Order: sequence, then structure tokens, then C-alpha cells
Amino acid sequence: MCQIHALLFRCENRDSKLLVTLPEQSTPKLEIQDAVWLRWNIVREVCMHRVWGRLALVLLLPMCAAAQSASTNERDQEMQEMRARIERLEKLVAELQKEKESKNAVTTAQAAGEPIPPPSTPAVPSAQHEDTVASMDHSGGQGGAPNGTERKFPALHFRGFGDVDFAATDDKTTHSGFNMGQFILHLSSPLSEKVSVFGETSFTAQTTPTATVYNVDVERLLIRYDYNDFFKLSFGRYHTPINYWNTAFHHGLWLQTTIARPEMIRFGGRFQPVHFVGMQAEGNIPSGPLGLGYTAGLGNGRSGNIARPGDGGDVNNNRAWFANLFARPAALNGLQVGGAVYGDLATPSPALTGTPQFRELITSAHVVWTKETPEFLAEFAHVRHRNTVTQQEFNSSSAYVQVAYRLPGEARKWKPYYRFEWSNINPSDPLFTTTTQPAPLVNALTGSTVGVRYDITNFAVFKAEYRHTERRATDPVVNGFFLQTCFTF
Amino acid sequence: MTMRTHLQLRISLVLGCLVVFSLISFRAAGTPAGTDVAIVVNSTNPVSNLTLSELRKIYFGDRQYWKGNLPVLVLMRSRGAPEREVVLRVVFEMTEERYTKYWVAKVMRAEVSDPPASLYSFGILQEGVKGNPGAIGYVNAGDLRPGVKVLRVDGLLPGESGYPLR
Repeated sequence: MCQIHALLFRCENRDSKLLVTLPEQSTPKLEIQDAVWLRWNIVREVCMHRVWGRLALVLLLPMCAAAQSASTNERDQEMQEMRARIERLEKLVAELQKEKESKNAVTTAQAAGEPIPPPSTPAVPSAQHEDTVASMDHSGGQGGAPNGTERKFPALHFRGFGDVDFAATDDKTTHSGFNMGQFILHLSSPLSEKVSVFGETSFTAQTTPTATVYNVDVERLLIRYDYNDFFKLSFGRYHTPINYWNTAFHHGLWLQTTIARPEMIRFGGRFQPVHFVGMQAEGNIPSGPLGLGYTAGLGNGRSGNIARPGDGGDVNNNRAWFANLFARPAALNGLQVGGAVYGDLATPSPALTGTPQFRELITSAHVVWTKETPEFLAEFAHVRHRNTVTQQEFNSSSAYVQVAYRLPGEARKWKPYYRFEWSNINPSDPLFTTTTQPAPLVNALTGSTVGVRYDITNFAVFKAEYRHTERRATDPVVNGFFLQTCFTF
Repeated sequence: MTMRTHLQLRISLVLGCLVVFSLISFRAAGTPAGTDVAIVVNSTNPVSNLTLSELRKIYFGDRQYWKGNLPVLVLMRSRGAPEREVVLRVVFEMTEERYTKYWVAKVMRAEVSDPPASLYSFGILQEGVKGNPGAIGYVNAGDLRPGVKVLRVDGLLPGESGYPLR
């Protein structure tokens, strides 16, 4: 309205001026011209008004944009403030968690009658804790502050493994049915930045003629001192690292694809020493993209019962030794190729006729592709026993090849697998036979296993497999169906 | 001022506005490095470049010491963080399930005492890197804060063409 009034005022002013300035005789003409001019002027002013209005609108857009930019800046500022606030809150939560843990530690120590530790633990680098795994890692609550980057010494982590099995075969000498597998407790704790301990204990159900008992065994117990990546020294009881399977899966059936181990490295087996007591050095070898690594050890070797290591002491004054070399090429993530050699002087007990001892030399090799699409494991081992009295040699070999494939997409919980095993055992090897039973302690084998693994959750699986086993020509062929559920927690 | 002049003026203004809007939009959606994941270490760490295979060795726990025998502290982001997905895909080449299984096996083999720490925020992660000389972690390049050192991966920094962690 103001603009209209202003427009009219300007027109009137213009009219007044014209009336004053124009001569009288031309007044009618002037009036017409003035009217025309006035009309034009009104039209122009209206047009200009529209133009300026639209111009104002157009000009408003960048202003809006600027305003939006300003609001974006404000939002950024708010975001920064919020981040800072979150940071403060996170720090506060971390402090509260620390305080809670220290209180718990004090309570636990008091309950155990131990001296109360100082309230502040020195912060040192290297805290490694995975929340997804931490949820299963029971080291006091959830295994330490989940978002802490401090490391405490010692910090006990433990994990359990278990399995329940069902077996049915056409072997007339065995019964079908369920059986409890091993219950495994795995414990680990860093003692300092460069010192750590590991332990693995098994509880195995065993049926005797009078009762079913659980046999408790210390499977592994070792303390390791790290100097750097190239030299780590440890002492204790190990799984002998001359076989890939033996050190990749240990007693964690949940980790391995199949229900059972290959026969060449089965628990309680005699073909290769499963355990080793002594010392071990390990580390990487500077080799660039080849990714070389080594393990070498010295220890007691086999005991009088060659299926057992010399936990309580060696049976002779000769130390067993081994060396293992492997490569994990950087260009082929998932590939490992390696070989090992093991030497020992076996002294069987009770002593054989003539009390011979046997020089044992084991050579082995493996190629594995650990990715699951596909998974490929292949191992070979050769065992030579030489009688120290007669110098007679006995050679035996064993191998397996296993292939598995994790199905894609929605079916990725399923992993079908196949394994072929073969063992050529010298039937006259005194360490692999016994006079007390007809079947040798280590028997020849040609067998196939086909099965499927189904991951119920990330930490529990079902496995079902069929096995076809052929041994010596005189032994019956055995077919069996096996089920297993195994888990970790 | 003629009608034609007004029309030209209006067109010019509209075009100008479009240019301004485009610039604002580009600025808002820009940050080309924002989608890259930066590998960060403590500022005192002398390392400034890692190859992807070296980075892989560190994150796989196969290399546990820096030069000078300083222990490596590997820091991960917790599940659900986009940066973690990038690292699992590019560095580990694993799914979450396989990653979990990998570390269970690694601990079971007594090669490490415990798996890498998983941190819920990039702020805490960077605080962890700042506070631990041997720490290595990763954050979205757009979330970088002062006080940490960004490593080149295969000679490239986040935002550069060919940078692998994206």
C-alpha cells in the first residue's frame, strides 16, 4: 500500500509539474499526452514494481543460501560441541569403569585374603581386546574395560571348548551311541609387555570296566618371552609343531572343519609325537614378501609309552629336537607352505627284546589355504625308525588332503567338506606294534570322509559326516555315520 | 532501463543463484577424503609409510613389534563402524564371523594373549593412539584430529587417487 501511495504521489507530482510547465493552449494536448505519459508511467512503475519484487525474491535466494550456509556452520559447530561432549562423557565413563574395576579388584583381593593392590595401575601400551570376543572372554566381568587402551598385568583370559558326539558304525566290535567329547579350558595371560603364559587343560570322559571317569590332563602350559618379532623363547609343554593341524586347531574342535582329526595326528596316536616338553624358539625371518617364519625346539621327546611326552622327565639322556620352516606369502593372503624335521631317540618301555633303542627321524610338509572359499589342507609325514642295535630301518608314511567350501550368501552357514587319508605303515615296526593285541598300534589306512558343517551361531556348530575306512587286507571295511555339536564360550 | 535489460538482469541473477547453490551443495557433500579410512599412529612413531602387506601383517598379529622392539598395540573400531567394515574388507579380507574365528584361533595357538581392542568411538581411538607410543588404529579421514600421525599406505595418503582403504 505504501508503494501504491508513493506511486500515486509521484504521478500527482508529475501532473502538477506538467500543468505548471506546459503552455495553456497545449493544455488539452498536454492533458492527453500527460494522460498517456501518466498511463505509461503507471505501467512502467507497476512493471518495475513487479521486477523489483521478483528481483527481491531472486535476491532472497542467495540470502537464503547464505542463511542455510550459516545454519550449516551452526550445525557443524553444534556437532563439534556434541562430539566434545561425547568425548567428555566417554572419558567419564572410562574413569567410572576403572574405578569400578579397582573396587572389584579390592573386593576380590579382600575375599581371597590377598594384600590390596594400589588403586592406580600404571598405564602401559598394548591393550588388545576385541569386544565381540570379549563377550566370551571372562577375565573379570567382560575382560577389562571394553573401550580401554590400557593393559593390566596379569590379565587372565579364559575360554572354553566342548563337544558332544554321536557315532554309529558297522564295526561289530563297537557300540553306537552318544559320548561326551573333551571339555577344554584355555587360559592365557600377559605377565608384562613381553612375557605371557598360556595353559590348556582337558577333561576327557573315559569308561573303565568299573566306572566312567574324567581324565584331567594338562595339554599345554608354557611361558613365553618375546624379544622381538624375530626371536621369541618359550618353555613348557606344547603341541609339537611338526604338523600343521596339531598347532592350528589344538583341542578346539570348534576351530576345525571336520569332526575328527586326521589319523596321522590323532590324540593318543603314536605315528607322530603330539606333545613335546622342553623349550622352543620361534619368530619371523626377514624375507620381505615371502613371509618366512621358523620354530625350533629342544626337549624330552617321547616317553617309554611313545604316545606320551616325557612330562616327568626324559627316558634317556638324548634330547629330542625339531625345526620347522614355513612361508606365508604376502601376495597370497591365506596361503601357508611349510616343512619340518624332528629327531629323537625313542626308548620303549617296557623294553623290547634285546633292549633296543630307536633313532627316530620324522620329516613332514604341508600346504594350506586357510580361506574358506575354498579351504584346502594337505599334509604329508614320513617316519623312520632305526634300531640302534641291529641298524634295521622301518619306514612309514601318512598323508591327508582336505577340501571344504563355505557356501555363499544366505547359505554361508553351510560348509561341505571332503577328506582323503592314507597311511602306509610298516607292519614290522616294533614301535607301532604290540604283542598283546592283534591289531597294530598304528595301522594302515585308506579312508574317505565326507560331511557338512553348519554354523548355528558364531560360536556353536553342528557337523555330520560319513566315513569309509579300509585298513589291512585282513581287516573289515568300516562305514560310519557321525554327528557332533561343538562350541566355544 | 528497458524490459529486455530487466529480463537479462533476472536471468543473470537466477544463474548466479544457481552457481551459488551449486557451490554450497558441493561444499556440503564434498570432503573427498571423507570416505577414506586413515591409518593413524602415535606422533612419535618414526614410521610414515606402510605397504598394504605390512599393514596386513600388523593387523593379523604376525608383526607384533615396531622397529626398536616397541610393542604394537592394534586398535580396532567396534562392530558397525563403517571404518571397521573397510578394514575387514581390504586388510583382513574377512567377514565379521571369520575375523572372530581368526582371533579365537590366534589366541588358542598362543600367538597372542588377547585379540585387538575394539573401541566404540573414533575419539577414544585417537586418544588411545595419542596415549600409546606403539598404537596403530584407523579413523575416517574426515574425523582426523590433531595429535596423531597419518600413515601413507603404499605411498598414498587418504584422498589421493588409488588409496586402498576406502
